[in-house]
Amino acid sequence: MKMLRAGLALGAVCLLQMLLGLHLPAVARRCDLFSIFAVYIALTRTQRPALILGSSAGLAQDALADTILGLNGFKKTLLAYLVGTLGSLFMLNQTVPRFGILFATAFFEPLTDLGLALAMGQQFVFPSPWDLLQRGLGNGVVGLLAFWIAARLPS
Amino acid sequence: MPRVLSQRKPYLLLFLLLSLNLILMASSVRGARGGSLLEETVMSVASPFLKAASWITSGVAGLWAHYADLREVELENRRLRAQVGSLTLEARAAEETRQEARRLRDLLALREEAGEGGIVAARVIARGASGPARTLLIGRGSSDGVSVNLPVISSRGVVGRVIEAAPGVSKVQSILDPNSGVAALLQRTRVQGVLVGEGGETCRLDFVSEGASVEVGDVVVTSGLDEIYPKGRILGLVVAVGEAQGLTRYVQVRPEVDLQRLEEVLVLRAPLTAAPGGEP
Repeated sequence: MKMLRAGLALGAVCLLQMLLGLHLPAVARRCDLFSIFAVYIALTRTQRPALILGSSAGLAQDALADTILGLNGFKKTLLAYLVGTLGSLFMLNQTVPRFGILFATAFFEPLTDLGLALAMGQQFVFPSPWDLLQRGLGNGVVGLLAFWIAARLPS
Repeated sequence: MPRVLSQRKPYLLLFLLLSLNLILMASSVRGARGGSLLEETVMSVASPFLKAASWITSGVAGLWAHYADLREVELENRRLRAQVGSLTLEARAAEETRQEARRLRDLLALREEAGEGGIVAARVIARGASGPARTLLIGRGSSDGVSVNLPVISSRGVVGRVIEAAPGVSKVQSILDPNSGVAALLQRTRVQGVLVGEGGETCRLDFVSEGASVEVGDVVVTSGLDEIYPKGRILGLVVAVGEAQGLTRYVQVRPEVDLQRLEEVLVLRAPLTAAPGGEP
């Protein structure tokens, strides 16, 4: 049942991200709903489902966006694992730590992209700090809002 | 906390998911050589094994091809040897046929010379049991019209005379027999004598007078005076001339016919015309 709910949530994330891309592209560029989903799952579920759902979210993002298939799957899997690990070591159920985690994902992803690009011999342009700051803030704000909504959904 | 820690070790799942995504990426990303990164990675990882496999395969294939070549060469060698053997037999048979044809052609010339009924061709079926062929057995006898004292010749010269005639087989006394005697003369000087066998491989020309001109190499032919052998048939060549012993001298003659190798002969029932060599 939990997996079904998670699957529905992932479908909703896909739909919302597409709608944002169509109608609010500026917002879509500054927040990554798939990363927020992976962080949420990693903080609220055990690591096995978190890894599976995180990887699924990344692959869904790859399928929707014009990116290399597996790139976001790899990043979201790693993100879910790291956040899950941090969540098991630290108390991350408060607003500020969660904001910090969501903000950090904006930096984590380009760093992972850079590592993968180097490993695969591909060219990669690292985003500017301003862009990263905007993405971090966008992820943090939208993520906290999503967490707040999710907490109020019927279980 | 312990439950959480126990759940913090899904390393295998993490590894599998990351690997899956990496594989997906690698299959999508194009490499420096234009192929997908996955293909290039797999190729570079597998290339040593592929090279080793190729080396082994080519080595085995080479060995097999070498073995197959050797096998084929061996088979061909056997086939060629068999062919050589077969051809050798054929060549020998052809040579035998050729020689036989030559002999028979010569005999046929004699037969034509004697007329259809004046000559009987016969095969030599046996020779004297020991030493030079003093006597011969031929495959024609009284039932073929062969009778005692008929001369026996071959294409090269005189062989001897019939001394016994049975139905189907006859015994021929060759000119090598010490009991034989053939009236003869030297073709060059017309010196006459009697050719007698010495019991070996040569004959002796008796009754040659001391002053007769005889030289080694002189041809000895029949004189026809014995009324057995036709005149002018070659008997042999003078191979040695001895010093005078009283009134005569010793003249050794080697028969022209090789009696050891004789295979076909002619028995003359009617007298042949004189051979051209019979007259000087």
